[in-house]
Amino acid sequence: MGTSVSKRATAMAVAGVLALAGCSSPTTTSTAAGGAGPLVVATAGEPDTLNPVLNYGVDGGSLIFDGLVARDARNQLVPALARELPTVSPDGRTVTVKLRDGVLFHDGSPFTAQDVVFTYQAVLDPKVDSTLRSDLDMLASVTAPDPSTVVFSLKYAYAPFPQRLALGIVPAKALAGQDVNKAEFNRKPVGTGPYRVTSWTPGDRLVLAANEKYWDGRPANSGVVVAFVPDDNVRAQRMRAGEFDVAELAPKLTTGFDGQAGYRVERVPTADYRGVMLPAGNPVTADLAVRRALNAAVDRAAMVTGLLGGAGEPAYGPVPPTSEFAEPSIVGKPAADPAAATAALDAAGWRPGPDGIRVKDGRQAAFSLMYPAPDSLRKELALAVTADAKKVGIKITPEGLTWDAITPRMKSDALVMGYGTPYDPDFVSYKLFGSAFAGQGFFNPGSYRSAVVDKALQDGRANADPATRKAAYATFQKQLGTDMPWVFLTYLQHTYVVKDAVAGVTPRVEPHEHDVANSLWWNIHTWTRKS
Amino acid sequence: MTTPAPVTAPSPAKAPARRSRRLAGAGAVVRRRLLVAVPILAATSVGMFALGAASPIDPAQQYAGAAAFTASEENLAQIRANWGVDDPLPVQYLRWVGNLLQGDLGWSTSRHEPVTAVLAARAGWTLLLVGAALALVLVASLLLGTLAAYRRGGWFDRALRTTAYTVQSMPVFWLALAAIALFALTLGWLPAGGLTDITATSTEPADVARHLILPVTVLAVAQAPWFVLFVRDAVADSLRDDHVLAARARGLPGRTVLFGHALRTALLPFLTLVGTHLPELIGGAVLVETVFSLPGLGAVTVHAALGSDFPLLAATTLATTVVVLAANLATDLAYAAADPRVRLDD
Amino acid sequence: MTDLALPARLRRAKPRTGRAGAAVAWTVLVGAGLACLLAPVLWPLDESAVDLARTRLAPSWAHPAGTDDLGRDVAHRSLYGLRVSLLVGVVAALVATVIGGLVGAVAGTVGGWVDRVLMRVVDTIAALPHLLLGIFIVAMLRPSLNAVILSIGLTHWLSTARIVRSELLSLRNRPFVDAAISGGASRARVLTRHLLPHVLPRLALATTLMVPHAVWHETALSFLGLGLPPHLASVGNMISDGQRSLLTGAWWASIVPGLLLVVVTLALATLTGRWRDRLDPRVRAELNL
Repeated sequence: MGTSVSKRATAMAVAGVLALAGCSSPTTTSTAAGGAGPLVVATAGEPDTLNPVLNYGVDGGSLIFDGLVARDARNQLVPALARELPTVSPDGRTVTVKLRDGVLFHDGSPFTAQDVVFTYQAVLDPKVDSTLRSDLDMLASVTAPDPSTVVFSLKYAYAPFPQRLALGIVPAKALAGQDVNKAEFNRKPVGTGPYRVTSWTPGDRLVLAANEKYWDGRPANSGVVVAFVPDDNVRAQRMRAGEFDVAELAPKLTTGFDGQAGYRVERVPTADYRGVMLPAGNPVTADLAVRRALNAAVDRAAMVTGLLGGAGEPAYGPVPPTSEFAEPSIVGKPAADPAAATAALDAAGWRPGPDGIRVKDGRQAAFSLMYPAPDSLRKELALAVTADAKKVGIKITPEGLTWDAITPRMKSDALVMGYGTPYDPDFVSYKLFGSAFAGQGFFNPGSYRSAVVDKALQDGRANADPATRKAAYATFQKQLGTDMPWVFLTYLQHTYVVKDAVAGVTPRVEPHEHDVANSLWWNIHTWTRKS
Repeated sequence: MTTPAPVTAPSPAKAPARRSRRLAGAGAVVRRRLLVAVPILAATSVGMFALGAASPIDPAQQYAGAAAFTASEENLAQIRANWGVDDPLPVQYLRWVGNLLQGDLGWSTSRHEPVTAVLAARAGWTLLLVGAALALVLVASLLLGTLAAYRRGGWFDRALRTTAYTVQSMPVFWLALAAIALFALTLGWLPAGGLTDITATSTEPADVARHLILPVTVLAVAQAPWFVLFVRDAVADSLRDDHVLAARARGLPGRTVLFGHALRTALLPFLTLVGTHLPELIGGAVLVETVFSLPGLGAVTVHAALGSDFPLLAATTLATTVVVLAANLATDLAYAAADPRVRLDD
Repeated sequence: MTDLALPARLRRAKPRTGRAGAAVAWTVLVGAGLACLLAPVLWPLDESAVDLARTRLAPSWAHPAGTDDLGRDVAHRSLYGLRVSLLVGVVAALVATVIGGLVGAVAGTVGGWVDRVLMRVVDTIAALPHLLLGIFIVAMLRPSLNAVILSIGLTHWLSTARIVRSELLSLRNRPFVDAAISGGASRARVLTRHLLPHVLPRLALATTLMVPHAVWHETALSFLGLGLPPHLASVGNMISDGQRSLLTGAWWASIVPGLLLVVVTLALATLTGRWRDRLDPRVRAELNL
């Protein structure tokens, strides 16, 4: 047996050196237990900064900051630093927010309209290295007519604008006159949120203490420690060793905790999809019959069980089934349907060649499928699609590459892509499928063009009326289902292992991005630990 | 290598005078070494920047992370302009050197903090890991290697060499995972990673020590074969040297001969080679830090390489080179201090 | 530091391993070599084949080493992984030997300031951790088979250069070289006829001893995600893929390829051990052996 030999060799060697070094009596650890200590959560994703202006927790749930609005357990907007939900003018271009009174920052200074103005102006300032600026394209100016009112003026009517107001508000006083990119604040931030930062050791942990004066009531626990452990295996091992109350783990690693006493596994639905982008610039993938055949040939059910350990669901479009905008007619068969795939190929004139690969007009049904090399899930999906396609006579060559090698090839080679937010269908899809963005970097890299989709996406963002929006996005989804510029594969579920002693966990649909902010612990200030 | 002259135990009274004479040339040696070190450091830093020029990676895209998918090209171009990373390389290099002379190592684009802050927060842990592992491996290899050499071909020698060759064939991260599986998971003796207990609010020395036992030991074990085999062969050789044979013939006890004469002779070449092996040890530390999620320089350096973060890369490379050069100088001085035949001023 | 004279005497050391040990090592090496050579003919592997219905099966008659996360046969892929890793190791060691041999030859025959500059370059590179240097090189070139080979080749040539240089320097003063020169032989002729035959065996030895080291380097790069494209079977990729399975009980996915590598490099080390033992300890240490 392999294990015993190598382990024994290691054990001998290690024990030998330990004994020689005179530290032969390692003490046993007893991890902190009981309800008194802070809650400990572990994640792989360490933020680069803790400044919302520089992309920390832009969709809320950031523990340290509050936005003007927040999201509840159903991802519906609720007022936070705003007294009530924002009001939008009839032309959709002026958004007015009334602020809550009596809110204090962690340093004791009062929160005012000037802080809101400062925060949004900092995002718009070209000297500030914020990628958030791209999301606030529509914002012309932000002003404070009085200390408890903020007015946003938009360049054009943009219905989902209130969704962009979950961005955490920073105190103007702490940052005014400084270089926001390099300010000390980015490491030791001051917010209005339920926790204040005690210390941050990059690469190790973020220690948060309860904000006793939190406007929404004192947190139910004394504090939170966020442990940053990038390696999946190490995180799982340390979870098993009992160091964490909650840890985010890869789905396959959580299976060991299922049914284990003292732990439970939370599988949280997300809007985070994975699919194959099929570029219009490749003669094989440009053929609608090939795209339809691929869509029928892929075995989504096997991907969910085999690759995701059951933590996912089949995907057929970019709007998640949990969204109110999801079009019910966009469904497919979770299992592969090779008969439908071969029928589509036969009808279009793709005939099997001598080596089993189909041929049409002297061209083989073959193309490259790129995936970012460090992403093991996308690698596995690429291989699964390759194997499924082979069964119907389409030859795919998977290629694991770095992003800089992928980018120049996206116009003509297929790519395993993924993204998604649950908040508004406009957020990602507008740029990903709009023909105005064809071939612009990661916006619509395959140059998909459809006048129907363009109009639907425009209607969706310009109209405030929910019914109109819903109809627009239904049209959008149906047209994508017809044109199939992508073969959507799966929606992921984010998986967390939680100790049974932790109470108050409220999973909500998560976006692609989740680290300290916006993870399962978005409302950790209401959690308690039974001792 | 020539056979070393017999080493006779110096009488205590004569030793200080002789040593001070021997060390008289030390200042000149240090000066000469420094003169060599400056061109080496300059060449290294230019090399790093030249490699960076060839890099196809866009640091702004790396910085944006997942937001790169929603950020416009105009947005990213503005960020690059803010950093000045699109300036010609000589301009960037001169700016960097200018700042360096004023004690400013620049801004790390991958870590979003000053390079000096990254080094200050992390270099200490890496040095501690490497230093502790080096100390452990030195003590262990001197003991084990000498014992094996004493009974060459005996069961202990054979077992030690077989173990050494086997361990040498194992990748260090593989050893690290096995150690975690055994000592942290199965036996539960030691923590599986991190620097302190996760609920600790400060870095208690005892706590840190307990967390470092496993990484230090793994690093030491992985590097041990090279050291052990060298000591064993060198001591075995010197056991057949004339002065050692003479000592034996004089009827001195085996232990005195072994440790007092044979090991001592073998120690000198060993010392100088420790310095040359240091880069290997640092490479191992990068992998060990990764597996044990220690907040050292290892993981950030890999991250910086992938994100074209030149200021941080240049700083870590230079820091490593400085450490290695300093270690080489130290071993040279130690060699000279220990060996009467080496004169520093020649 | 640069004085790497030949061992003063070749010791009549007792063979480190007995006959039986050598026989086992030869069997392992020849067997592994044959298997790697013949595998593409006898047992071709489809690198992109997966079978999601048969993931993480324990070892059985159908799958002697079980299946991995994607339902691929671990034994089959381990064989190919070994093939790739040995290929990378051998080619990279050859690249390193060529680079080191050229630099050493130039330094040792031309001498003077060229020698001093070249040795200064060698010292500079030797002061850098070569794993980090290798990481930079791969990151700059983008991870691929060629980048890995180049990265290993460019970081492992230093010791070869030193050995060749010192060998040449020591040979230059030997009587037979003097005789050849005074006999009117050209510089090129002296180099090819008299010096090369002495240096080549040393080079061959250095290359062989470098192979396990190069294989280890490839594994480390793959572990850091900087090696071969991750869907290809290489020992490094398989260990790093299999890590995840370790905790869920599927130990075979990472143990088997790792063990295969350990056994083969160990056999290599056993057989080269006799040559290694004849080396001066100092040269040996410089080679990191």
